[in-house]
This record gives sequence, structure tokens and C-alpha cells, in this order.
Amino acid sequence: MANKTILVAQREYLENVRTKTFWIGIIAFPVIIAISISAGWILNKLKQQQSYAVLDLSAQKIADRIERAARTPDLLALGKLLKSNEQLPAALQRAKAGMKNALPINGSNEEANPPEEVLIDLMQVMRELPASDLDTLIASNKGMSTARKYEHQSLQQLGLDTLEPAVQKKRLNELVEKGTLFAFFEIGVAPLTSLGDFNYVSNNLTDGALRDWYGEAATRVVQSLRIKDAKLDPKVAQAIAEQVRFREQKVGKDGDAQDVKSGEKANKYAPFGFVYLLWVAIFTAAQMLLTNTVEEKSNRIIEVLLSSVSPLELMSGKIWGIAATGLTIVGSWVVCTLLGVWLAPRLITGMDFPLMEVIGDPLYLISFVAYFLGGYLLFAAILVGLGSVTNSLKEAQNLLQPVFVLMMVPLVSMFFVVQEPNGTVAKVLSYIPLFTPFTMMNRAGGPPAAYEYVITGLLLLVSVIVAFRLAGKVFRIGVLMTGNPPKLREILGWLRAK
Amino acid sequence: MQHALILDGVTKRFGDFTAVDQLSLQIPKGCIYGFLGQNGAGKTTTIRMVMSIFHPDEGSITVLGKPDAASLKDRLGYLPEEKGLYKKMRTAEIVAYFGKLKGMDSTTANLKARELLTTYGLGEWLDKKCESLSKGMGQKVQLLGTLIHDPELVILDEPFSGLDPVNRDLMRDTILRMKHEGRTVIFSTHVMEQAEQLCDHVMMLHRSKLQFAGPLGEIKQGREFSIQLDYDGDGRVLQQLPGAIRVNDHGKQAEIFLQHGDDPQLALRWLIERITIRRFEYRAPTLHEIFVRTVESANQKLANKASTEGAR
Repeated sequence: MANKTILVAQREYLENVRTKTFWIGIIAFPVIIAISISAGWILNKLKQQQSYAVLDLSAQKIADRIERAARTPDLLALGKLLKSNEQLPAALQRAKAGMKNALPINGSNEEANPPEEVLIDLMQVMRELPASDLDTLIASNKGMSTARKYEHQSLQQLGLDTLEPAVQKKRLNELVEKGTLFAFFEIGVAPLTSLGDFNYVSNNLTDGALRDWYGEAATRVVQSLRIKDAKLDPKVAQAIAEQVRFREQKVGKDGDAQDVKSGEKANKYAPFGFVYLLWVAIFTAAQMLLTNTVEEKSNRIIEVLLSSVSPLELMSGKIWGIAATGLTIVGSWVVCTLLGVWLAPRLITGMDFPLMEVIGDPLYLISFVAYFLGGYLLFAAILVGLGSVTNSLKEAQNLLQPVFVLMMVPLVSMFFVVQEPNGTVAKVLSYIPLFTPFTMMNRAGGPPAAYEYVITGLLLLVSVIVAFRLAGKVFRIGVLMTGNPPKLREILGWLRAK
Repeated sequence: MQHALILDGVTKRFGDFTAVDQLSLQIPKGCIYGFLGQNGAGKTTTIRMVMSIFHPDEGSITVLGKPDAASLKDRLGYLPEEKGLYKKMRTAEIVAYFGKLKGMDSTTANLKARELLTTYGLGEWLDKKCESLSKGMGQKVQLLGTLIHDPELVILDEPFSGLDPVNRDLMRDTILRMKHEGRTVIFSTHVMEQAEQLCDHVMMLHRSKLQFAGPLGEIKQGREFSIQLDYDGDGRVLQQLPGAIRVNDHGKQAEIFLQHGDDPQLALRWLIERITIRRFEYRAPTLHEIFVRTVESANQKLANKASTEGAR
């Protein structure tokens, strides 16, 4: 690279990089992503406790059983904890000593389906556990996630137990209206025959998690009651009700089918994020170049520069300077990603991070940087050509419209390509240089054959070189033009000129 | 005599429009050379060709003895008419940057930039951003960026436009100093007084064609003398002066051309009775007059040509 090209590039780079806004922008992006990733999870954690009551009108009084069914996973977690040798809170120590029914033995079938008495005992322990102890256990990821999330208020606690059902219902309605209760469930009179009078009363129409959680447990309880009532063998009933679940497998390198690990699935979807980031990065950098070219042209500094450097030197200096800026952005993102991958599991317990391992894959990171460079250079050549024939950003925006449309293609096709990384659409798009970086990145989960990497890479390289040549011809003339932007015919004339 | 710049039959076309038509010029080393002409006459295009920003379609340009200016851009300095700076760069930085682009090494350029700026009274602004400069200061910074690498040939496109009197004098002194240092200065202008005061040589372009070129004295030679006077009073009487064929009245000054053979003494006598004369000279016409006359006769020629072609 010529000495003066480097000087121009250096200036471009420093001008961008030494502003505070640049670094704020760089940091802001990963921070926003990190926040939006963790926000859902954190919000869920922070979600207010939801209190509910149950108005059980059934002859069999099934509310307690439903409650236990709903909380079985929590109770099992608690049971496991009591059985372990871990240091337990004092309240739990006492509870363990006072338990009437023995905890199920490790590994036995009963561990998954514990006898009802054990659950009753455990329920008692959980109810009596101080809230602070419960919080500590939940925070240290010992299960029991719903223990605090959904709080059952008995009618007795609400002082309604002695009233007539009709009055009870009226009072409960009032409590929901006041907000004391998030919701209440009304269990119908005859669960064995009719489910018509099962009601869920709440003023929150959007958050259905409590209803689903409780409803699922109620279904199980009602089902088992009906099985019993029909004098069916519970085992037979269970066998009938069992659902078919296909286990996901794929054909490995040795030709045998293997189970799909969770990380591998994330692998298929990881390109999504990369393509999007690539798109943002390329577009940001190319846009920067365009703005900068138009600005330089409109403040007339270009003529001074051209008295010292050739148009080609100036153009490539600008393109490389902004490439370096873009690489700094992309590089910072890569560093942030690696940092996130390393930090996230250490900071947040209880979250599954298969995706993080995939993102940290060096293959992805390296091809990300390489495709950024290829894609940027191609779009940069186009935009610098466009920028040189316009006199203001407004004019440039108009000329940009077709480029915008082109740039939308990789985004629109992203979903199809990730689903069928080696399908026809994906293959065809890979061979169109403008889309090569995005599509190949998109297909990385496939992954494409090595020869495809080589051919598409070469095509991209050749188009970058050709685009540079053509842009140089337009830039040389366009950059000194003022007044009306040239017509397409004129520009084609410049391209043909030597 | 050695020449800093030789143009030989240079032609530049933009599509159907010929911006510069068959221009031949020889510019001696160490002189101040004025490029005159109306807006759009082809001055800037000529300058851009000399700076090898444009390439001529025909003809050849020899700069400092070399046929290709691209290889010796580092020995040339160019201040374009439209002046711009990078707003976010600091003053010393941008002057040094222009120096570096001309091949100066980084340390020298940085030192020289600070030194120049200080000499030109911008010492307090060395590390201020260009966007904070006033227009005049910005122009100064730009000029220093043009001169930092001590160019042998300096081309200034309309250097005086938009300058206040103080900066105008500064520009003039700078141009003169460069001449004394043996450099060649070319500047374009359409303010004839400036050219008249400063230039050793001038050339004039009109509608892409060279009208005249040479030392200022030679250009004035052989032209009708004119009465040049400063006066007070009602200038309208000047139009009634017997024998006057052309009067350029500027309000306080006037230039009057008499019929061939008329005595300027008679004119003076006639004038004294009507207005207060402060200065009276009978001498070669001003550059201003030559310029206007040239434009008129060139336009006349074109009109004649068009009408004869139209008649055909």
C-alpha cells in the first residue's frame, strides 16, 4: 500500500476512534444485547409473587391433592436436599428429625413417584419453612422455583372458611378486585363427570403462567381420580396416556446415529445472531464511509487532498481507514462476546449456556471477522462510488434505496437459510458475492462443503477487486463534480473510459 | 529562461463542453503570474490540469521540467478556491497532515506546523479544533497547509476572495515573500487591481480561449492611453466631455478614453471648470479596462461569427 494511502487511512481511523461517542457506541451495543438477553430472565426472577386462593366445591375435596401435584417438583427437590449431607438451615434440621414418613431411597422408582404420605410430610415442612430460608435455597439453585412464585392463601387464612360458598365467592371476587389476590380457582362440584364449572378468576388477562401451572396439576389429579373411579389399572391407564416422544438424533462422522446434544442445536441457530451482527457491522461501516465521503466532498477539502494524493490513493485510504474502524468495532464485539461467555456462567447460576459455548467457537469468530472484511469492502466500493457522485447526504440517501433493497435480502432469507443450510436457496445466495458473507455465515451450522468456502471466497475476492476498479473510475471524476448528480448513462461512460 | 510551467496546446473537454481550448503558456521561474478571466472562463480547470487532478484531452503540460505533475506533486502547493478543513481536527494537526501528505516526515511536519501557526498569529489555536476557528483564521490555516512543505511552485485559486483587508495584506506579503525566495506563484483572480499591483505576468482566458499572455508591461504596450483621475463632484458631466469615446466612472475615480489624437490637456481644462480634480494622469490603460475591452471584443467576435453562420 502506498505511503499516502496509509496516511489517509490513519487519519480516517484516528478521527473516528478518538471520539468518545465512538467508544460509547461500541460498548453500548454489547451491553444492550446482554441486557436484552438477560432481561427476560431477570424480569422473570423479579416477577412479583402471585397469591391465589382455591374455592373447592368438589365432593372429593381435591384441592390439596392438586396443590401437592403442582408442587411435586419442588417437594422432590426439598426431599433430595433433606436426604443429602449438606449443611441445612436450622429449621430444616428440625423438620428432618421430626418427619413421620421416611424419605424415598435413592435410585428407587419411588423417588420419581413418591408415596402420597411423603409428599404430605414434605409439604408440611415447606409450609413451615421461614421465607428467608426458602429464598436462600432458591437463590442457591436448589430447585423449589415455584415455592415462592405462587403463594397459596387458604380460605382459613383469608377468614372465609366458615362462610357459605356463595358468600365466599363474592368475597374472593372482591379480594381479586382489590389486588390482594392475583387470582382464585373455583373447582367444580363434580370433577369426575363434568369440568364445566371450573373457573379461574383474575383481572390480569395476559399472564397465564399461574393458570397453566395449576391447571396442569388439576388435570393430572382429575385424570387419576377418573382412572380410579373407572376401576382401571393405574399402570394400564398410564401406559395408555403415555405420549410418544421422538429422540433427536443425527448421523455422525462415523456414519452412526448419535443423540443430539443441546449445544449442537444451539449451533444451528447461532449463525442467526452472527448474520445479524455482521449485517449491522457492515452496514454501520459502509454508512460511515458514505457519510464521510459526502461530507468531504461538500466541504471541498477533497480538492486539497487531490493536489497531494491520487484519487485512487485517497479512495483506498478512506476505505481502509474505515475498514480499520469497523474491525475495531467488530473486534471489540468479539472481545465482549468472549468475555460474556467466560463471565456469564460465573455470574449467573441456574442458567443454561449452550449457546455461549457455540458463540465462543473460534471458527465462528474468525470467519465473522473475515466475512466482515470481505462484505464491507464490497459494499464500501459501491457506496464510495455512490457517495462521490452526490453533493449531499440527502441525495445520497435517494441513490441508496436500491442498495438498501439488496441489503435486505440476507436478512429476509436468514430464516430459510438457517433451516436449510445446504438447500437450494442457501447455495444460490452463497454464489452471489453481495450475499456471500451473510449467507456463508448463515450456513455455518450446516456446515457447507470446503469447496464451497473456496469458490465463494474467490468469487467474493474477485468482485471486491472489480468493484474497487469501477469505484475508482467513478470516484476520480465524480468527487470533483458539483451541481446535478450525473445521469446513469454518464456514469457508465466513465466506467468505460480508461 | 527556465520555465516553471509550460502548457502546449492544452485542451480539456467535459462531454460536449470545451472548458479549455488549445491553451499554450510559458511561465518563467520565480515570477508572480496572474490568471485572469471571468467566472467559468477555464481558470480553475487549467489549474486542476496543472495539479494533475484532471488530465488534458490534448496537448502537454510540463511542470518544473517534468512532463508528469503526478510524480512531483510534493514540490507543488495548491490552495483551491473553495476552502475546507476537517472540522474535528486540531489546527496544528491538520497543517501537519497536509505537510505529511506532501512527503514530509512526521516530526518535521509537526514542528513546522506549530512554528508556522505561531508566526501567523495562531499560537493560541494550535490545539483547538478547526470548527472553533473564524472564517479568516480557517483561511490562514488552509494557506499554511499549502505552504508548509516549501513548494517550488504555488498555485492559489482566488486567494483574496473573502479576506478582510488585514488578511488581504497578509496574503499579499506572503505571495511577495515567496517570490523573493525564488518560488513561482500563480494565482487566479477576477479583481484586476490585485493583479495589477502584484503580477509580473498575466494571462487572460475568455470562454475557454486564451486572449493574451505575457509580462504586464508588454500587454499594456501599444494600447490607447487613458485619462485616469480622482475627483469630487457630479460625475455625470464626465459623459459630456468633448471627444470622450468611453468613460468608466467609479464615483470617485474615473478612466476616460479620448478620440485618437485629441489633446488630454484640453480635456483637463474642460474638467477643472466642472468638477474638483484631485489626481490627473494620462497613461497606459488599467488592467481593468483591458479586461473589459477584451471581453467585449471577444463577445462581439462570437456574435458576428454566429450571425454569419446563421445567415449561411
